Amino acid sequence: MNVFWLGLIATASVGAGTYLMRSIFILSLADRDLSPQVLQALRFVAPSVLAALVVSILFGGADQGGVGWVEVIALGTGGAVGWRTRSIPWLLVAGMGTLWVIGAFV
Amino acid sequence: MLSIDSARRRGMVDALPLLTPVIPFAMVLGLAISESSISDLVGWSGSSLIFGGAAQLTVVTLSGAGVGLLAVIAAGWVVQARHLMYSAALAPAFGLQPRWFRYLGPYFLVDQVFALVVMRTDSDPDVFRRYYLSAALTFWSVWQVSVALGLVVGPVVPESWALGFAVPLLFLGLLIGAVDGPPAAAAAVVAAGVTLATMGIPNRGGLLVGALSGVVAGYMTQRWRP
Repeated sequence: MNVFWLGLIATASVGAGTYLMRSIFILSLADRDLSPQVLQALRFVAPSVLAALVVSILFGGADQGGVGWVEVIALGTGGAVGWRTRSIPWLLVAGMGTLWVIGAFV
Repeated sequence: MLSIDSARRRGMVDALPLLTPVIPFAMVLGLAISESSISDLVGWSGSSLIFGGAAQLTVVTLSGAGVGLLAVIAAGWVVQARHLMYSAALAPAFGLQPRWFRYLGPYFLVDQVFALVVMRTDSDPDVFRRYYLSAALTFWSVWQVSVALGLVVGPVVPESWALGFAVPLLFLGLLIGAVDGPPAAAAAVVAAGVTLATMGIPNRGGLLVGALSGVVAGYMTQRWRP
């Protein structure tokens, strides 16, 4: 399958799945509500999957160019600033800024 | 209490501060699409077909990385699984809404829209609906334009700026926002460790194994916390 169809089918399927998940209880498509245990477990989906994505993108293979120490420092700086400010724009500025500044010297 | 006249304006005004982080996010997404091997149009179609930034970025990143179709879809679904919570939380408020809105409303249910409208569920149903649609359409329009802007800007930016690095940074930012206590932190650490350890599984299968381990770790930590 070429990348065009793979991308389109994946996008449409994730879109359909997303609509289903957003609407399932609103449209009463499910027979019953989620159990408290399931609701509790769902709270941990976001931190888990996002952490897995960060690792997977960074170390996921040749297509991403790999990670050197410059990237690690940039990620650490961005992460620290993001943690302090709770702001994605500042995290991006700090992370990219660090990458550019160190990159200019090495 | 909101009046029916002020609900529309209020929805838009409340959405504005939440848009500040959304605009750079959307632009990075546009850049990522322009740098990936999937076509710009297919990548951009996710803005409306999915309407969820993290999932769209996941699909764009993995589709261009030689990952199989089913693995890309599974990863996208896992990213979106939290929306089940939103649906369950808003179901009672939607019970008072007309049929057309029960079908249309969930389409717009991104994190920020949920955060806004969940605080208005006690409002009169007509007020709730106007507020919801106004906040949702504000988000939706700004999102479409910002992603397109990133797509246009992407190819102009010199390669040496290494803007692709903004993608892991962005996921890191979302991760930090999602860690709201020790159990969530445990979930993130375990997910990262397991993903790293299972890197060898084809089709980025380690991503799903890692995410699932994180959910279990978070749940256990929550239960056994004193």
